[in-house]
Amino acid sequence: MLQDLWHNLDYAASVVLFCIGLYTVITKSNLIKKFMGLNIMETSVFAFIVALGVVDGGDAPIMGAGAEAPFINPLPQALILTGIVVAVSTTALALSLIIRIWKQTGTIEADELRGME
Amino acid sequence: MMRRALIVVLLIAVAAPLMLAMSQLPPHGSPETPPYTHVSPYYLEHGAEEGGAENIVTSVILNYRGFDTQHEVTVIFTAMAAVLAVLLLAGSEPTDAEDAPGESPVPVSVVVRFIVRVLAPFIALFSAYVVLNGHITPGGGFQGGTIAGALVIALSLVMSREEADALLPRKPEHLLQAAAPIAFFLTGVAGLALFGDYLFFPRDEAFRWAAVLMLTVIEVGIGVGGASVLVRIFRAMRAD
Repeated sequence: MLQDLWHNLDYAASVVLFCIGLYTVITKSNLIKKFMGLNIMETSVFAFIVALGVVDGGDAPIMGAGAEAPFINPLPQALILTGIVVAVSTTALALSLIIRIWKQTGTIEADELRGME
Repeated sequence: MMRRALIVVLLIAVAAPLMLAMSQLPPHGSPETPPYTHVSPYYLEHGAEEGGAENIVTSVILNYRGFDTQHEVTVIFTAMAAVLAVLLLAGSEPTDAEDAPGESPVPVSVVVRFIVRVLAPFIALFSAYVVLNGHITPGGGFQGGTIAGALVIALSLVMSREEADALLPRKPEHLLQAAAPIAFFLTGVAGLALFGDYLFFPRDEAFRWAAVLMLTVIEVGIGVGGASVLVRIFRAMRAD
């Protein structure tokens, strides 16, 4: 199993990144840090899916003069471009909500917010 | 201590099955992986002729999956509307009393200010290049728009508020922010009128110029729209 994992080191790295993000989300009390953790988890998924499209010795999927097969899979890249845009949108919305919470309550620590209600 | 042990147990419980699954995937970089064996070979073989773009990623995004991308640009637009609603509408008036007029809101050194101003035209040129060459080189509307948005944000950090606000025209602001959905809609309707299907890109060699023109219109729309949405979100966030 470890032998197989060594061949798929790129995928394993994205799992590690995912766990780092999850750890941040669970342990940090600051809302901005929590959301950074969520962003790290998103990034790990993006990295995993883009890594799925890699082909050994592959070229960028741009045709034209001098283009030679094999080409890297264009599909994961196109999907992840969509994913990144959605991630940016959610980040902007979450940050604005955090700004709003700070204006309303004067704190962005989840512990203190829980004690307030 | 108890809590920390619980967290470690949870992380291991998450990581172990994922690692097991990763070890059983086809080896990284092999051309036999499932994502590479179904629809991708078709895209790679025919994408350049059918899609009108030598960059297959652009072809997939704007042509094969055009509907997906059209709704995706609507997502950014909706996110901006939601940000504005959360920050500006919900009963808080923007107060910019602290800023001395004529000063940049953040204290920056002269060196930073000078460098940003000197580099600005080149960054703008680069972003225009990335947008307009998205169909033959790496790049496209989203990437170029992000560069342009970052440029305006960097400039508004080193300029005074009045100068920064003058960077983007106020009047057509709403139109600019909606540029991406509008560009998609116009191209879609053009395809409907000329070729009989919404968002249809002509595949004939004779109409290749039309496909390239439609792709360019969408790319420019996405670039302009993305940049102005980013700048608007930034301005809403610093309004307090």
